[in-house]
Amino acid sequence: MSRKLSLAFLFAAWCRLMSPAFAAEVVRNPFESSVVTVEVTSKEYDLMQPWNKPTRSIRKHALVLGSHELVTTAQGFANRTLVRVQKGGRGRWFDASVQWIDYHANVAVISAKDGEFWQGLHEVEVAPSVPRRNDYDIVRWRDGNLEIRRADFSKFTVGEGSLSFSPRIQLELNTELAGLGWAEPVVADGKVVGLTVAKSGNVCTAMPTPFLLQIVEARKSGKFAGLGFFDFVWAQSENPATFEYLKLEGEPRGGVVVEVPKQAGADYAIRRRDVLIEIDGFSIDMEGDFEDPEYGHLMLEGLATRRHFAGDIIPMKVLRDGKIIDVRYVLPRADYKVDLLPMHGFDHEPEYLVAGGLVFQPLSQSYLRIWGEEWRRRAPFRLAYFTSQSPTPERPSLVVLSQVLPDPLNVGYQEYRNIVVDKVNGRVIRKLADLKVAFAESTDGVHRIDFFKGDGLQRMLLDAGSLEESTLRVLKRFGIPKAEMIGE
Amino acid sequence: MAGAPERSVVQILNFSQQPVWDAPWRWQSVRREGGSGFVVNTAKGKRVMTNAHVVSWGRQVQVRRYQDPRPFQAEVDFIGHDCDLAVLRVRDESFFEGVDALEFGELPEVRSTVVTYGYPAGGEQISYTRGVVSRIELQTFVHVGNRSLLAVQTDAAINPGNSGGPVVQDDKVVGVAFQGVPGLENAGFFISPEVIRHFMKDISNGTYNGFPMAGIRLVPLQNPAYRKFLGLPEGSGQGARVDGIGDVPATRELLRADDVLLEAGGFPVGSDGTILYRGNRVAAGLPFQLAQHGETVPIKLLREKKEMTVELPVSVYEGDRAAGSQYDRPPRFFVRGGLVFTPLSQDYLRTIGRDLGDASTTDLVFELFYLRQEKPEAVRREPVVFVNVLAHPVNANFGARPRSLVDKINGIRIESIDDVIRAFEAGKGAQDVIEFVGKQGFECLQREEADAANAEILKTYGLTNDRRL
Repeated sequence: MSRKLSLAFLFAAWCRLMSPAFAAEVVRNPFESSVVTVEVTSKEYDLMQPWNKPTRSIRKHALVLGSHELVTTAQGFANRTLVRVQKGGRGRWFDASVQWIDYHANVAVISAKDGEFWQGLHEVEVAPSVPRRNDYDIVRWRDGNLEIRRADFSKFTVGEGSLSFSPRIQLELNTELAGLGWAEPVVADGKVVGLTVAKSGNVCTAMPTPFLLQIVEARKSGKFAGLGFFDFVWAQSENPATFEYLKLEGEPRGGVVVEVPKQAGADYAIRRRDVLIEIDGFSIDMEGDFEDPEYGHLMLEGLATRRHFAGDIIPMKVLRDGKIIDVRYVLPRADYKVDLLPMHGFDHEPEYLVAGGLVFQPLSQSYLRIWGEEWRRRAPFRLAYFTSQSPTPERPSLVVLSQVLPDPLNVGYQEYRNIVVDKVNGRVIRKLADLKVAFAESTDGVHRIDFFKGDGLQRMLLDAGSLEESTLRVLKRFGIPKAEMIGE
Repeated sequence: MAGAPERSVVQILNFSQQPVWDAPWRWQSVRREGGSGFVVNTAKGKRVMTNAHVVSWGRQVQVRRYQDPRPFQAEVDFIGHDCDLAVLRVRDESFFEGVDALEFGELPEVRSTVVTYGYPAGGEQISYTRGVVSRIELQTFVHVGNRSLLAVQTDAAINPGNSGGPVVQDDKVVGVAFQGVPGLENAGFFISPEVIRHFMKDISNGTYNGFPMAGIRLVPLQNPAYRKFLGLPEGSGQGARVDGIGDVPATRELLRADDVLLEAGGFPVGSDGTILYRGNRVAAGLPFQLAQHGETVPIKLLREKKEMTVELPVSVYEGDRAAGSQYDRPPRFFVRGGLVFTPLSQDYLRTIGRDLGDASTTDLVFELFYLRQEKPEAVRREPVVFVNVLAHPVNANFGARPRSLVDKINGIRIESIDDVIRAFEAGKGAQDVIEFVGKQGFECLQREEADAANAEILKTYGLTNDRRL
């Protein structure tokens, strides 16, 4: 009896599912037609063997924003070989191309030529400000379905970008969702309020849309000059004794400048021991924070990217020699080259030079990441310590002997690696290209390679007459396609 | 020598207490550590030889004879931390009655058999382990951590408690057991007779100086082009290259980079930087260690393709003492307004534990281990760390991060703890200004308030004095 009843129920349910009236009731989520999937295949260079070009593919999300344009984060696009997009979370992939990208801003604009791709897609609704909520939704395509999951609000904060040292506003959420950080939209009230950029533990970081829109709109109007940053170092002080010493009257407030760039000229607006009282019209408290009307208390660094771009003049009030004075600070452009060891180098093959089995590479943070995420602890101390040192005109960057590929020419040197080059044949090595010039300047029939003064090897000599022959031999034996990859 | 060697082997108990390096006025709990030793003859009579690490930081050292239940009080007569050897005097001379001193033998040969005597953990009675000499070379002596001397590797079990015990061959002491290597099975190490004899000769005049260092950074010279360039004949396997010279004035004066060391102390130096010593290839630094502090070592050099002979004076090097483990001298410190200052040292860095290597500590690591080689002109005699704050209203807002290296106080560059005191005393303004190395900035203390609070802070935190110098 019960079996008959069950079959009857199933039949009735099937009839209802098949009826046209039910199909008309389906309410599609608007994000299904405004959030797309992006697949990026790129070369993921192996800096242990910089001539190797292994590839990887990642999938991420993008928003339909503007006419035939998709906006997403710049993460994953470096050294790309193929970009494809897919709508609806399933079905056909369409070829796409990057129209514009800025790694410091972490924003990319992509497009697909095929008109069919754009059919049925609609511009996403983006919130011009982030409404305060206890929780937000995170939207993503997963197994062909649009997944919407809740994430708890944690805080707004100022932090470095995923690809840059330039500080910016960030939204932190708590969620157990795994695999986030690939531009999944964060939504509230049916509008996108951010794109995820990172996930660490249960903390998911997102780029709020006001920051994103600021970049996108500046790009559209041709006014994007790059992100800026404050190139001085300051420290918070809650110590009345220190403020008294600096002759600050009234309540303790402001951040104390402890270091200005070594190359700063006389016209540089900030001096060591200035107290930053006010920046861009915002008072700085003694913790170094300002009160953002939208996000609350934020670290003063956020003012470098709050509605400003590189080259802008930011008015400041500073306490100097007991007097509060107005200064005009020119916001420098965030450029990886400001560091002695550049943080990243995108969209070009890694540089190297093989000479007689000696492999030379630029010393960069990318190189140090060979030692994994914990490279600051695991990389050779002396190499990692260069990250705390500043470039100078005499030494704007460093070149490291990364390894020695064994060959009769370099007998006796095979064990040496990770030592920084000072001079070759008497020529100071400021960049990899200098090496090439220097190797054409041998004297006495030998190449003389001097390394940085320290606890490692100080000097190598190589037979100059056999260098070329040795290099060819090494290339062949170790399967290296060419002896050098030197950028501009 | 009469009788069995075990009658001359003693058990040592050390009740030790080490300082707390990041709270330098405090001491850790007393620890009971066991070791071994043996009776030797010295110019002053019979003594007990053991390892320095067995008796370091000793508050009370007791020795026990073979199968004698009575403990005897002992005191350190001489101690060489660099070579991990010590000689103890026993207050009650009757301890030595009926006990023969062991004699020293020569460096044992590889593959020969030796017997280790001692009182290792796991029992109270003497233990004997037989083993084969497997390797002889310069080893890092972990007691200080930054010295390498001639040691012998054996497959005889050398366990905690064996330390200081004699290693015997043909009834003569051919070594003192001293260390193992974690993770390396069947490998124990004993101090070579060369090192023991050097130590004994050193103390024979009543003072211990230590093992000299030449300060030569010698590297193999095996690249054919480099050998030819420096004038070495083709096919020769002799000569290693001076790659750099350390902070040793005599060596700086007499040697230069790219000199080729052909002979050291009469031993031909191979192109791999080793000499052949009693059938073993060991690092060419050995002849310099065999000399006593203040002696000279004859060396033969090839410089600009010409051979020359030099008598190189060698001496004990103290410049890197803080970069190794230190013993028996509690850390210096000074406390002012609750701010604690102490010299930078390897022992202090160990207290940082897992955080060592973080951005906040890299300046300390660089200063201690790298600056001397890279910028000797910038080296401070005794770099000082601001290690902690003893909380009090006078310093409640002092925001500088502990573990920061002190650069200046009241405008005076800090070269030592003594400078810290001098700089605070020299302050004239209402505030003391303390500047830190790197990007740590500076902070101030109200001078009069700090003065007034000092006694109360010391009392609150149980310091009997504001300094140990």
